[in-house]
Amino acid sequence: MTLFGFEAYKTFSRWRTYISFGVLALIVLMTEIVMRVSAKEIVNSMMKPFQRDFIIAGNIVNAWFITAFIMNSLHFHIPFLITLVAGDMVSSEATAGTVRFLLIRPPSRQRILNAKYLTALFYTAVLVVFFALLCVVVGLVLFGSGDLIMHRLGQFSIVFIPEAEIPVRMLLAFVAAVWSMTVVASVAFLFSAMAENSIGPIIGTMAVVICLLIFGNLPLDFFRHLKPLFFTTHMLLWQGFFDQSIRWLEIGTSALIIGLHNAALFLIASLIYRRKDIKS
Amino acid sequence: MEAVLKTFDLGKRFGKRWAARDINLEVHRGDIFCFLGPNGAGKSTTIRMILTLLRPTAGTIQLFGLDLHKHRREVLARVGGIVEKPDFYLYLSASKNLELLGSMTRRIKRDEVMEALARVGLKARAHDKVQTFSHGMKQRLGIAQALLTRPELIILDEPTTGLDPQGMKDVRELIQRLAQEEGMTIFLSSHLLSEIEQVATRMAVVHRGEVVAQGSVSELLAQEATDYALQASPVKKTLKLIEPIPWVKVLSSGDAGIELRLEPGRAAELNRLLVTNRVEVLSFYPRRTLEDFFLKVTKGTPEI
Repeated sequence: MTLFGFEAYKTFSRWRTYISFGVLALIVLMTEIVMRVSAKEIVNSMMKPFQRDFIIAGNIVNAWFITAFIMNSLHFHIPFLITLVAGDMVSSEATAGTVRFLLIRPPSRQRILNAKYLTALFYTAVLVVFFALLCVVVGLVLFGSGDLIMHRLGQFSIVFIPEAEIPVRMLLAFVAAVWSMTVVASVAFLFSAMAENSIGPIIGTMAVVICLLIFGNLPLDFFRHLKPLFFTTHMLLWQGFFDQSIRWLEIGTSALIIGLHNAALFLIASLIYRRKDIKS
Repeated sequence: MEAVLKTFDLGKRFGKRWAARDINLEVHRGDIFCFLGPNGAGKSTTIRMILTLLRPTAGTIQLFGLDLHKHRREVLARVGGIVEKPDFYLYLSASKNLELLGSMTRRIKRDEVMEALARVGLKARAHDKVQTFSHGMKQRLGIAQALLTRPELIILDEPTTGLDPQGMKDVRELIQRLAQEEGMTIFLSSHLLSEIEQVATRMAVVHRGEVVAQGSVSELLAQEATDYALQASPVKKTLKLIEPIPWVKVLSSGDAGIELRLEPGRAAELNRLLVTNRVEVLSFYPRRTLEDFFLKVTKGTPEI
């Protein structure tokens, strides 16, 4: 078995890995069922500013609308669920004492760390894809398909995406969502490589995400200059695929900044872990 | 004699305190080498350095004649070990734990896993999750994982800790079998003198982070005057023969036998003398134990 297979097997053999999937399933099902019940109310509230100027007809609250709507909450709960596993990836070996068996084997620490990091990214991707597919499938069952009409918050405009274009845009948005969430996994992984227990990395990662979100929204020049460097600023890059015309440059820049964060965070984790004395 | 493990001035410092210093060990192929010392003496620190869990502050390690840090992958593939208590993935079965950990060294067949479990008496529990195992069972599972890849050198850090007397005996017998029948080299740390006395061929005593004695167990114990218990008949004739000998000191005599102190290496000579003078030697054995030796060599070692 490859090291990645070994790590993936361990990760997906633990019941705590599935907590995240259960929580997401609950969120999606509850949200979509409630939206099904109160669809008319949602449309009225969303389209209120436009009702004087437009006549809106057809199936507005459809699977695509619901998916995009729920994905807006991505940067709140998914990071927490990612840290449950990514934050545990290295530190749990120290907590359980299994690190003493693991690191006396022939593969180098770097190779073991690579396998663990890949597993953390794989888990992140599986979680986001599960979330996205669940949104779409349940949405199609409860609401059916149609064109995507969205009102972007804070803007007096409506985005209209024809039904034929939606599958490709959704796919790209999901890929971008996976990529944006890898940075959270990287932060959690770095803390995990430094810690001897799992609580620290989980709390530490959430503290970093919350602080950066707050700093990024403070109306102060100092933070306004720094904001483009915060990974939290770029975590919603997937939303770019639901603009009327896709702004590839902005999306590409955000993706690059997230990639640089990932590389830097993993490099630091590697430097720390390769030199770490195992005393536990 | 081929040296399987050699350390050269090995040391580890935590902050200002040296947990191990100037450790020079030499373990030969086929040895059951015991690393003896009280708790906190530096045994585990040394073992952790040998197994790459700790980075040495000073010195180097050679395994199979190769520098450990330059040839890590190559040499660790030939080593099995347990460091302190054996901890496994509790949510996996015993066989799955072995399969996964063994596969980090080489491809492991299912039969090999079952064979390793059978050797430590855990075959019947192969498919049970480790979380249902007692400490003793985990200890045996730890030995099974150390044996799984058929290493040339097995490093066991206090392998009988937490075992019941039968379990301790089983482990001792297993260690002896591995060395004698399969030619494995065993490096064993312990603070239990009785354990070492029964299995070791060579040993090193570590105290306060430093090696204070090293060599074969028999040589080390024979270095100095040793007390013996002698049962011989007739007693009066025996005493008459041995009392004038300058290198013999009679400590006590009575119906239970005679207690003597001999100069090192004179036991065989005395036995020969008694037999040639037609004294019937019923028993003649050293009273000096490893415990005496240990207490002597560790006395007065400076704090580091």
